[in-house]
Amino acid sequence: MLKNKSYFTMLSLLLMVSLFLVACGGNNAAPQTETNENTADQPTGEPQFGGNLILGTSGEPVIFNELYSTDTASGDITDLVFVGLTGTNENLEVIPVVAKDLAEISEDGLEWTFHMHEGVLFHDGVEVTAEDVAFTYSIFKHEDYTGPRAGSFTALEKVEAIDTYTVKFTLNEADARFGTLTGYGILPKHLLEHVPVADLEEYREFNIDKPIGAGPFKFVSWTTGQNLVLEANEEYFEGRPYLDNVTFRFASDSNALVLLLETGDIHHMIVPTTELATVEYYDHVNLHSTLALRYDYIGWNLARPLFEDKKVRQALTHAIDRQEIAETIMEGNATVAHAPVSPLSWAYNDNVAKFDYDPEKAKQLLAEAGWEPGSDGILQKDGERFSFTILSNSGNVVRRDIGIIAQQYLAQVGIEVKAEQMEWGAFLDKINAPNFDFDAVVMAWGLALDPDPSAIWHSKEIENGLNRSAYRNDRVDEIADLNTKIIDQTERAALLAEAWEILAEEQPYTYLFYPQQFVALSKQVQGFTHHPRIDMYKVNEWWLNQ
Amino acid sequence: MTTYIIRRLIMMIPILFGISIISFAIMYAAPGKPAVMNLDPDISVEDRERQMEKLGLNDPPHIQYLNWMGNVVKGDFGTSFTKKQPVKDMILDRLPNTLILMLFSTILAVIIAIPFGVLSATKQYSKLDYGVTITSFLGLATPNFWLGLMLIMLFSVQLGWTPVGGVSTLGAEFSLLDRLHHLILPAIVLATADMAGLTRYTRSSMLEVINQDYIRTARAKGFRESKVIYKHGLRNGLIPIITIFGLMLPTFIGGSVIVESLFSWPGIGKLFIDATFERDYPVIMAITMFGAILTVLGNLIADILYAVLDPRIEY
Repeated sequence: MLKNKSYFTMLSLLLMVSLFLVACGGNNAAPQTETNENTADQPTGEPQFGGNLILGTSGEPVIFNELYSTDTASGDITDLVFVGLTGTNENLEVIPVVAKDLAEISEDGLEWTFHMHEGVLFHDGVEVTAEDVAFTYSIFKHEDYTGPRAGSFTALEKVEAIDTYTVKFTLNEADARFGTLTGYGILPKHLLEHVPVADLEEYREFNIDKPIGAGPFKFVSWTTGQNLVLEANEEYFEGRPYLDNVTFRFASDSNALVLLLETGDIHHMIVPTTELATVEYYDHVNLHSTLALRYDYIGWNLARPLFEDKKVRQALTHAIDRQEIAETIMEGNATVAHAPVSPLSWAYNDNVAKFDYDPEKAKQLLAEAGWEPGSDGILQKDGERFSFTILSNSGNVVRRDIGIIAQQYLAQVGIEVKAEQMEWGAFLDKINAPNFDFDAVVMAWGLALDPDPSAIWHSKEIENGLNRSAYRNDRVDEIADLNTKIIDQTERAALLAEAWEILAEEQPYTYLFYPQQFVALSKQVQGFTHHPRIDMYKVNEWWLNQ
Repeated sequence: MTTYIIRRLIMMIPILFGISIISFAIMYAAPGKPAVMNLDPDISVEDRERQMEKLGLNDPPHIQYLNWMGNVVKGDFGTSFTKKQPVKDMILDRLPNTLILMLFSTILAVIIAIPFGVLSATKQYSKLDYGVTITSFLGLATPNFWLGLMLIMLFSVQLGWTPVGGVSTLGAEFSLLDRLHHLILPAIVLATADMAGLTRYTRSSMLEVINQDYIRTARAKGFRESKVIYKHGLRNGLIPIITIFGLMLPTFIGGSVIVESLFSWPGIGKLFIDATFERDYPVIMAITMFGAILTVLGNLIADILYAVLDPRIEY
């Protein structure tokens, strides 16, 4: 009896103590200093060999074969296990990797020839040759290919090995995007040529159990839901990585990752804006930031009569203080955007129409478009009230707040807005083909390396594609069709600049901002380079200060 | 008895069949299509369409259902849309983790709840009884995720005694101690809700028994109070409790969703919630059916146990 009683007392005591300690937790963290500048960019001391780097991630990978993978979690791993002819550097320029140099392109832009490094070895010791490259790329063209990238390679006619270290791609029409398509991980022909292309996607032995590439790290093991282990490739052609092992540790979500970071269980995580305030206080962690290759926007559904008129859309943008959104909701970690192209892109054009915060101008434009204040203060036209819903996906606090702020700003010019959120799957279903059942959405585009605007802005993408605003402009269509045929980058950039000018002027979206992205890195980790697009870039140059 | 069991087992078939149709219909009617393709501007409309075709998602719903059912009858639960792995393998991979967690938390709940329930009943209206009652209501009312977060903050982050999550230490050899170390927090959190309910059941069940004539008789015979309670009372008082375990079987999946997510515990619950968000139909259907089978079986087990333990019940 007594024993049980004391047990019970202990239990209740424990509960009380836990409440107390947790309540204190917040205060304890406060007095720490703000040290989190980009100090890790200057390595302390000489690189050391050895150590196990632990990367925290919430996404579980799917398949370790770039010909079939579409998710970033798989991409993060294939980036380390495989190498391609080319890659991109942190300035988003295409650079040679296994290729000695960038492609030699023929006059007409149809023949792309690469000369390859000698002595690059797959993890099983076999040398990478032009045959392997030809094998890899011919899969995209095979009629039985089941992956999602056939559409990217429509311009590719054939690929052939000229000699052991020279490979030639022949296109059926000039395609300026082609350079960015030559970075796919090279597959070992000797291990896969016996597999029919139709079965390749399901070929577990290679794709999941034992992927073999020529990258800086070898695949060791994957325990689903727990972790994935890679080890240094001693024979890597650019030199052995400093680290002995790289381990991906899977956790449920960013909350769990932040806890793991705090306790030192992981060295690296990508920090969502909502967790920044917490991570900033950890003094064993450096926070790195760089501009992400993306923009956030409010998209207007041009198929709805409310948003048909360009003046109305311009007015909407004038009415919303995007600078304020960047400073408050994004806590200053974003730059106001004016066009659907990233400042990181070589095709960026700053010389476009800008619709800065100006509620008076907004009112005036709305009046010009025929909208007059009604008896309840809401604008009216032909008996129709200016009232609509801004939709975003639930769980995304930033987008929820943007919806609410937009609601407040637009109310000031006499527009009634409801801000709603829906579960991601249901949300996509509603806003995408064939439903297109929305007035306005808060969303973001992660941009491709190549700035071709076709996938989002071409009118042929309205019915089934991603042009869900139903935007239609003949000149933009023309530019979209034409731009990929211009190999010269300066010339192409000039043409694209015109598309950005039109898209900025027409405001099918209110372009909100270009956000920063953040990476938290244990202070032990040195040699880190922040790449806007590759989560774990050049890990072979990272080392642990032990 | 044997005929009864066989009859019940045969009855399971139409029930499960009905459940599968209803679940499939609900899943199909729910908004959101399988996010087979993310919104990657790099992937063309044609490629996306081809993938849908390949997965059979362009077929009318009844065809999709019949295809699915046909494969299930052959023992094939299909391939996950998003993870591209056989659903059966994915579930078998995760099942042991869930089972270990459930087993451990159930044991924890039982060894704490039953003694407290009995004590609470025997000392009805005492301070102890009130204490146990208040604590168990607190336990019932405390949200799992909140308690879990609090315990993580205290024991993992502040004190550093327990791991933040996962099932074992990274890269370490398998060891029982390490497993237990990782198991303790999630099991405690999961046990609290069960524990509270179980204490209440035990208490009321014992109270009923204590007031029976045979207990009074035993007392009158001059047996020691502890013998009266534990030998005569407890045995009968526990009968309804044991049947509850049968009914607890299906909560294996549902109850673990939150705890598994909180502790990054790779079990069925976590798999189920991920699959739901991704509209991964084959995985959703397989786990739903698994849950349905457990529910039906759990009911059967409860009935059988009852018959075995209580000779007054006849079939």
